Amino acid sequence: MAFRISLGRYVPANSALHRLDPRTKLICGLALMVSVFFIRTPLQLAFGWVVALALVALSKVPAGKVLASLRPVIVVLLALSVFNLLLVNTGEVLVALGPLHITSDGLWAAVNYSLRLVVAVVAATLILLTTTPTQLTDAFDALLSPLSRVGLPGHEIAMVFSLMLRFIPTIADEASAIVDAQTARGGALAEGTLIGRVRAIVPVIVALLASSLRHANGLSRALDARCYEGGTARSHWHPLQLHARDGVAVAFTCVYVAVLLVLGSL
Amino acid sequence: MPAPSSTTTPIVSLEHVTLRYEHGVTALDDVSVSIAEGERICVLGPNGSGKSTLASVVCGLLAPDEGAVQLVGHEVFGERGIDFEAYRQARRQLGLVFQNPDDQIVTSVVEEDVAFGPENLGVPSEQIGPRVERELHRVALDRYAKADPSRLSGGQKQRVAIAGALAMEPRVLVLDEPGALLDVRGRRGIMHVMDKLQAAGTTIVHVTHFMEEALAADRVLVLSKGRLVLQGTPREVFAHGDELSALGLEEPFTARLSEALRDRGVCVPWTIDEGELAEAIASLATHASKADAARITESRAAAPNQDAPAVLADGLCYSYGATDGREERHPALDHVSFAIPARSTAAIVGQTGSGKSTLLRLLCALEGPDAGRLVVSGIETSNRRQRRLLHGRVGYVMQHPERQLFAETVWEDVAYGPGNMHLDAAEVERRCREALALVGLTGREQSSPFHLSGGLQRLCALAGILAMEPTILVLDEPTAGLDPHGRAQLRQILDRISDHGVTVVQVTHSMDDAALADQVIVLNEGTLLMQGAPYEVFAPTTEQALRDSGLGLPEALSWALRLAAQGMHVGTPLTLETLADALQAACEGGAHGL
Repeated sequence: MAFRISLGRYVPANSALHRLDPRTKLICGLALMVSVFFIRTPLQLAFGWVVALALVALSKVPAGKVLASLRPVIVVLLALSVFNLLLVNTGEVLVALGPLHITSDGLWAAVNYSLRLVVAVVAATLILLTTTPTQLTDAFDALLSPLSRVGLPGHEIAMVFSLMLRFIPTIADEASAIVDAQTARGGALAEGTLIGRVRAIVPVIVALLASSLRHANGLSRALDARCYEGGTARSHWHPLQLHARDGVAVAFTCVYVAVLLVLGSL
Repeated sequence: MPAPSSTTTPIVSLEHVTLRYEHGVTALDDVSVSIAEGERICVLGPNGSGKSTLASVVCGLLAPDEGAVQLVGHEVFGERGIDFEAYRQARRQLGLVFQNPDDQIVTSVVEEDVAFGPENLGVPSEQIGPRVERELHRVALDRYAKADPSRLSGGQKQRVAIAGALAMEPRVLVLDEPGALLDVRGRRGIMHVMDKLQAAGTTIVHVTHFMEEALAADRVLVLSKGRLVLQGTPREVFAHGDELSALGLEEPFTARLSEALRDRGVCVPWTIDEGELAEAIASLATHASKADAARITESRAAAPNQDAPAVLADGLCYSYGATDGREERHPALDHVSFAIPARSTAAIVGQTGSGKSTLLRLLCALEGPDAGRLVVSGIETSNRRQRRLLHGRVGYVMQHPERQLFAETVWEDVAYGPGNMHLDAAEVERRCREALALVGLTGREQSSPFHLSGGLQRLCALAGILAMEPTILVLDEPTAGLDPHGRAQLRQILDRISDHGVTVVQVTHSMDDAALADQVIVLNEGTLLMQGAPYEVFAPTTEQALRDSGLGLPEALSWALRLAAQGMHVGTPLTLETLADALQAACEGGAHGL
């Protein structure tokens, strides 16, 4: 069993999205994600999808990478659809199977809730795929700096987030190595009864925790050795700078949200 | 031992430094070291001797309990205790690279990572770019500036870490076992970078388990149990062969060879210099080569094995799905065929990405082949249900097996495997006891595996697999990261296991280890490059093919080929012992000829 997580790994390319200031990207992306919850009509949904697909094209990131990041959430989206399908009871009854009623509203909710979330996930994925962890950290840092003023560790939160992204693949590789080892020792993680599987997961989790602690130790040694002392005295190789294109991006985002809301009232 | 005479003030100076850890372990015991600017120091010592602690003290990450420490002109520790501000200042001019490259890389773009240190130092933006470029060039990674470090090989990652340290322009660079987790090629790359740095005048403190690497140093320090027991030039230090072996260290190959020859009555000087020894041998045996009677060739008549092979691979193919968002890549294994006889030993060699690890996963029935057949211990592995039968029969010792430890006590951890096999309690107990005895951990049953030293943790993990009494034992680089004593100990245990009739298959970076197996399987980019007995695989005719795929020859054979190039033919010995025997015969032949 191999965990091949490609979640949010930066894909180098030279696209309009890559060149955007990470702060702009975060704010516009956030706006895009929030706007998704205003999608209620098929027209809005179609508009959201068109924009999302256009962004993917604009980013020059291979569609496969975007799809790969979507894969982990598909199960959640499907579950969401099923719940909506079965639990929404308003509207016209389409099918009635004993206590189960599938209504027209339920059907639309099932479709809409999942598909609009895809738009949000695509937006989030594109931010991660087109922004280096360092840029992300800097952007978070800048955006969280109001927190620092009231004494909360804005910069540190940003750094932790960035390190988390960095270590996901490392820990995933290690997890698959440990699963292999314990499987070869007869711990049946991938098959057998539920109780058996739960029992088999303990040797994996404990070993993985120990391993993560080792990494944490090593990492702290590395951060010390490289004189990381928090955000105060740091300089930046590529200092964040707003360009005209950032203004354009913000304008586009505003127009998008406005059009979306107008479409909703049609 | 006199301290090196130096008129300038030392760049690092430790006086009577003692450091104890919380649980009462004295890691450094009254150590005094003084390092001059531009010096290349190598620190040797067995596991647990305090080498890493010394490295941490020298690069300003650990303060001692007693003594005085002066780093790059700052009195960081003395009678007044720790001077935190001085430490902060000193650290800005000290660089550290340590074992695990994964832990040292903080972002997912190579050049951004190299820039991380200078950014922390507050280096002005416009100066960072040139530094990054310069250091990536120095470690020969210019082409990888935009790459994702997690896709690089271990050696490349480690070079990124070195570039990251160098970009901070440290006056002293401390390397704490930088090659411990790397293959031969990766280690060579690191040594190459160090040579360049030495030439550029950087002060280097290099901690290592590989004695050969110490030869390039100006001065060697040997630590044992926290004390500085030997220091001097490599020649001076390695002259104390007996003391070193008592410490669990060994001498470099050249020194061992010259010693073996002297033991055999061949009159060569003791030396650590390859050229000097080769010359001495050549001058003794000038006349011998013509006779050629002394030619000794390593060949073991393979006993015809009547049993079904332990492993039979026929046209084996496997590739990782290209659908997971990774780039399309060539199959991990492409039509690989070989057989490993039961109760024999086999070594699998190949560089990173050659498909070794994939082959091991298939051998352990963790995965089925895409095409072709793989029969392990008589069981087809294409069927999931069948594969399940093999878990337990095939013991799998993963790379760094200590990472699989999880239980509260050694006993419980070792009992996990047999416990999964539905054996009765008495049988589980017997197996655990025998396995622990086999690896020499009897008496430690109730310790926590996490409190054992690194070497013992590995043995504990190994016991956990042996307790399942596998008929085939598969190991992935079992000696990686161990000190010479640990390596020797592990080899001995594997020999014992093999004597018990277990088929032992191991992936190894060490051609010297591979030469000791019954059979060597060489993989290159997913295909089978060669296979056969060691004397077939390691031969003058195969040298080029091996080098082309990033591998080498066993040390003894390299020596023999070197001598052959000088007109002295001693056959194709694969071990130090046979080489020494051949040389002895050749030299005596030469003596008779006179």
